[in-house]
Amino acid sequence: MTTADQKGLRAVLREKFPREHGQLLPALHFIQHEFRYLPDWAMEVVGWHLGIPASEVYGAATSYTELLTVEPGRHEVRVCTGISCSINGGKRLLEGLQSSLGIGPGETTPDGRITLSETACAFMCGVAPTVSLDHEWHGRATVESVNLFLRDSDEA
Amino acid sequence: MTTKDPREAFERLRARAEGRADRNEGKTRVVVQLDHSSFAVGGGDVASALTESLPDSAYLVIAGSDGASFQAPKVVITTPDGAVKSFRNVDARSFAGIVSEIGDGIEGTEEDEVFFQHQRRVALDKAGAISSTDIGEYVTHGGYSGLARALALSPEAVIEEVKASGLRGRGGAYFPAAVKWEGARRVDKSPKYLVVNAEEGEPGIFKDRHLMEGVPYRILEGMTIAAYATGVDKAFLYINAEAELSAQRMQNAVDQTLGGGLLGGNILGTGFSLDVEIRRGAGGYVCGEETTLLNTMEGYRREPRLRPPFPTESGLWAKPTVINNPETLCSVPFILANGAGEFKSIGSEEASGTKIVSLSGSVQRAGVVEVPMGTTLRQIVHDIGGGVPGDRELIGLAVGGPSSGVFPPSMLDTPIAPGQLHDSGVMLGAGGVIALDDRTSIPAVVRSLAAYNADESCGKCTPCREGTPRMVDALDRLMEGRGSAGDIEELLQLADVVGAASLCGLGQAAGGPITSALHFFKEEMTAQAR
Repeated sequence: MTTADQKGLRAVLREKFPREHGQLLPALHFIQHEFRYLPDWAMEVVGWHLGIPASEVYGAATSYTELLTVEPGRHEVRVCTGISCSINGGKRLLEGLQSSLGIGPGETTPDGRITLSETACAFMCGVAPTVSLDHEWHGRATVESVNLFLRDSDEA
Repeated sequence: MTTKDPREAFERLRARAEGRADRNEGKTRVVVQLDHSSFAVGGGDVASALTESLPDSAYLVIAGSDGASFQAPKVVITTPDGAVKSFRNVDARSFAGIVSEIGDGIEGTEEDEVFFQHQRRVALDKAGAISSTDIGEYVTHGGYSGLARALALSPEAVIEEVKASGLRGRGGAYFPAAVKWEGARRVDKSPKYLVVNAEEGEPGIFKDRHLMEGVPYRILEGMTIAAYATGVDKAFLYINAEAELSAQRMQNAVDQTLGGGLLGGNILGTGFSLDVEIRRGAGGYVCGEETTLLNTMEGYRREPRLRPPFPTESGLWAKPTVINNPETLCSVPFILANGAGEFKSIGSEEASGTKIVSLSGSVQRAGVVEVPMGTTLRQIVHDIGGGVPGDRELIGLAVGGPSSGVFPPSMLDTPIAPGQLHDSGVMLGAGGVIALDDRTSIPAVVRSLAAYNADESCGKCTPCREGTPRMVDALDRLMEGRGSAGDIEELLQLADVVGAASLCGLGQAAGGPITSALHFFKEEMTAQAR
């Protein structure tokens, strides 16, 4: 079975998720896991399956910080700028990335390679500052460790 | 139904667990503390390397963190003769040393006294010392004796015991736990649900992850006691989508507990049954608010609901629902096992028990600490945390969370207590303490908290939706030298109106950082004003 088109995705959803309103978030998590974000057409299919209007699916999806409705770049760099991380160097990390990548938080490089974002907390303040590189969190992060990742991701 | 004594069934279970543990006698115990923070600093590599190279004379235990994040990744080795040695900030290089130490025999050293000696562990007891993936270790270290005793009592007697202990909810609202349970018990409707709010989306607070990854069985034990007391047979554990390791540890704990007859049907032979299902959240501070959590579980936008009706009357799918925080539930087994009096003897006159504090920012020893209620901020920041690093100066503390407030160093002797710590808007909340030093400034911190609240406002209540961004605007004017006395007045008025006219805690307390900063740091806050 494939999730790549409407028909296939609908069949997969039918198998995985009972047709209950409460399955909306589990289904959206599944979509995000499959596509790295929530494509409009996939949200529509979720709505069909669960019997929820597409507008309501979209409304719910956009109200949760962890759900993305825009496709991110091939690599995702997320810097924590919570108070503890900021004090311990997170702010400098973000500024450094902004100038080396030439983009601001929430933006993607023009070649679609890297999306830079910030978060208010990674919930590991004891090992601040923290950076997530393609969804893997790194504590006591340094400019060097992040640059190393970015260099390696060029080759990937 | 209730024919057998659950304590007898439990004793048999414990004897079996002890029998299994005896197989490791005479071997060296190697404990790897592997929690989400430890993973972020290379703990996963240390664990896999140890797994591959451990000699036959040793056995490996995967534990959660003992709270000392500053020492992660940490490995603790105990030889058969009882000598203990702990290795901090282990990496692939120092790891080779650990393996050879096991072979050579090791010298006993003291644990990190300073960090732990001022702490009192109830909820976090044994976290980091016992396995968080093997129920046997929890049982042989006293786990589930609270449940065994609870099931031998009537549900009403369990509620009485918890009431006598004075336990209050640890999620930030500090509502008496027994009163909530009593309310749910009295509602004569079926089904009833128990929801454990482990969404933990409050910046600067990371304790629930420590509990889930360190002592997952204690959360389940507390849940089972709560369900028995309130007449619930279906419970949901609601865990943040990003807290993957927490969810894995909890799922493993559920599976093992089911296999051990401590969950599912006919628990300890008493006829009492409980089904636990794990659900995953999708982020957001406001989801920590209990009615918002319910909307999320039902598949709606993250918005709070009007109260009343309270969830205990009409909660999840309009059924009576008890919502508890993992930390609250982790105090419950202690109360049942040791009695309400023992719990009441911890803490202060007004507030019994302990509080887990997430300590971070500019301190030498950051991590998760558990202290008796009534402990002062000075003890937490200086004695336990070691204070700010030598070349820095403490300028204040951000206490509580994004909707609490800021304290100057002169308030360090404030004891922690449920609810408000100062009437300018500083609250204990879920227990975050962030030490601020001269690398930042109070206005910058307040601005960042205010911006966070504006971002997170769900938009349901107009005063919060419109008011929180206006607070940010006024702060910007003040900080950029375009401000005037009128802006201070506007800030205070906004804090007042948003606080009074919002449905949930986010709006109600959104003014806290501003009002406390204007009270304690007026000069800094208005230095740039005309």
